[in-house]
Amino acid sequence: MGFIAEGFQKALQLIFSGNAELFAIARLSLAVSLLATAAAVLAGVPLGSWIAIKKFPLKKPLIALINTGMGLPPVVAGLVVMLFLSRSGPLGFLDWLYTPAGMILVQFIIALPIITALSVSAMQGVDPGFYRQVLTLGASDRQAMFICLRELRLAVLAAVIAGFGRLVAEVGAVMIVGGNIRHQTRMLTTATVMETQMGNFDTAIALGLILLTLSFAVNFGLTLLQQKKVPAR
Amino acid sequence: MIKLSGLRLGYDTGFRLEVDSFEICGGEVLAVIGPNGAGKTTLLNALALLNPPSSGSLELLGRDALAPENKMFLRREMSVVFSRPYLTNDTVEKNVALPLALRGRGDAAAVDEALELFKIRHLKSRSAKTLSQGEAHRAALARAFVTKPKLLLLDEPFASLDARVKDAICRDLRKVVKASNAAVFFVTQDQGDALTLCDTLAVLVNGRILQRGEPQELFARPACAEVADFVGVDTILPGKVASKEDNLCRVETGCCALEVVSACEPGDSVFVCVRPENVSVSIGAEENSMRNRFKGRVLSIEPRGLEYRLVLDCGFGLTAAVTKQSVEKLRLEPGRELYASFKATAAHLIKRML
Repeated sequence: MGFIAEGFQKALQLIFSGNAELFAIARLSLAVSLLATAAAVLAGVPLGSWIAIKKFPLKKPLIALINTGMGLPPVVAGLVVMLFLSRSGPLGFLDWLYTPAGMILVQFIIALPIITALSVSAMQGVDPGFYRQVLTLGASDRQAMFICLRELRLAVLAAVIAGFGRLVAEVGAVMIVGGNIRHQTRMLTTATVMETQMGNFDTAIALGLILLTLSFAVNFGLTLLQQKKVPAR
Repeated sequence: MIKLSGLRLGYDTGFRLEVDSFEICGGEVLAVIGPNGAGKTTLLNALALLNPPSSGSLELLGRDALAPENKMFLRREMSVVFSRPYLTNDTVEKNVALPLALRGRGDAAAVDEALELFKIRHLKSRSAKTLSQGEAHRAALARAFVTKPKLLLLDEPFASLDARVKDAICRDLRKVVKASNAAVFFVTQDQGDALTLCDTLAVLVNGRILQRGEPQELFARPACAEVADFVGVDTILPGKVASKEDNLCRVETGCCALEVVSACEPGDSVFVCVRPENVSVSIGAEENSMRNRFKGRVLSIEPRGLEYRLVLDCGFGLTAAVTKQSVEKLRLEPGRELYASFKATAAHLIKRML
């Protein structure tokens, strides 16, 4: 048990010593996950709302497909994205393999079904009468959707929290697409795996602590935003 | 301002709305009454461009309302108030300003004016979620009037309000509507609300408008048995006009003969309609000027609002409306014998199609 306590002690020393590489890894992790979440929110929330509101053929199978996507194994997503981004793949011209852009892309693909499915579910909970009322106030379809989403901000922020939580802890896809290249694509999760495999438990614990702290900080901020206008019961 | 013809709209459930034609001019209030499931809200949704009809024509403000290019323009010229206020999670002021914001306009004076019209200026900073039902309805009405709409559609806007609040809002709404010159389409189940607000009344039953006209005329002279039943005619007797002298028809019902002033002709099969408030009851057999007078027995007494409904067996079923004082004074109770009478002008004949 002693080595665990020792690991924590060394980890704290590492964090407070201001290790530049460690903080660069943390910054990259945060940037990749936040950008991927933001992109997934920008695409997934309107898409989910549109699917919820509109009537079209195969709507139910599409929703089932999106729900299935919530459980998409990250390594499968990573493998597919790697094949697409590889030099001979259809997106090879982008030259995104083993770059942060590639990691954002794969994380976006992982988060998109989560945020879309939760948005569909939230929007389907809107009273149809409310939506009709907003339309009759003179709203365009887009304005009506925006007003409904504003009313659903608790549920939308829950979707954001769920999406970010999934991404910040994700390791398999970014390992495959990013390659865990030092100073380029090394993330907190991939570095933790690597340091653990190398037996550097203190560094692995330090990385894990930073990951948890960052995750908590972002989620705390989102939760504050979410709970800001919840009336007391 | 609102003109429709041959409007047809159906649901998978088999329900069909079939409205041949009607028109509402600026400043006119048309109230549509009808039982649950008659199609009132379906018709309102069609006028609000929320439910496109399968056929027919609809003209709003002189434009073809079914043409997609006119939809947004027309939506922004109308306001709709539903039975639930559907306010957003904002202040009252922001709720009332919302239609203006959606049109890219910010007009604080118009918002203040709308709040003032419905006497809720003092609530402008309050969260909409903390309003009472009456206040929320006032906010919804203020929101509807903030754009000074040319078309106003009201879908049972007072359905969930208590009588006192409803009366107050109804009075204010009437004033605002009369001053606005908007064409108003008002859907309700409550005949009292309809009479308070409307200039013209229509009765919708099973997806069809069965009668349209001035409210007093429609209540006194329903065109068919379904309308009569809905507008509160409790006594509807089938019969045949046996003879006629001047305008006074003698109608044989099989169990009695009634005298009714009507344009019907001898040989016509008819329904005799008698409104309960037109039936007088007395214990003694005093003479009066009423041509229809029957001895009967009380079958039941039931409260109906501030009045009572007295169901009498006079050889045929006859319903009378009596006050609480009359019930006490005449000691009315089931089994009590009395006399019921009504004037020949107080009954109405509907020709039956055989």
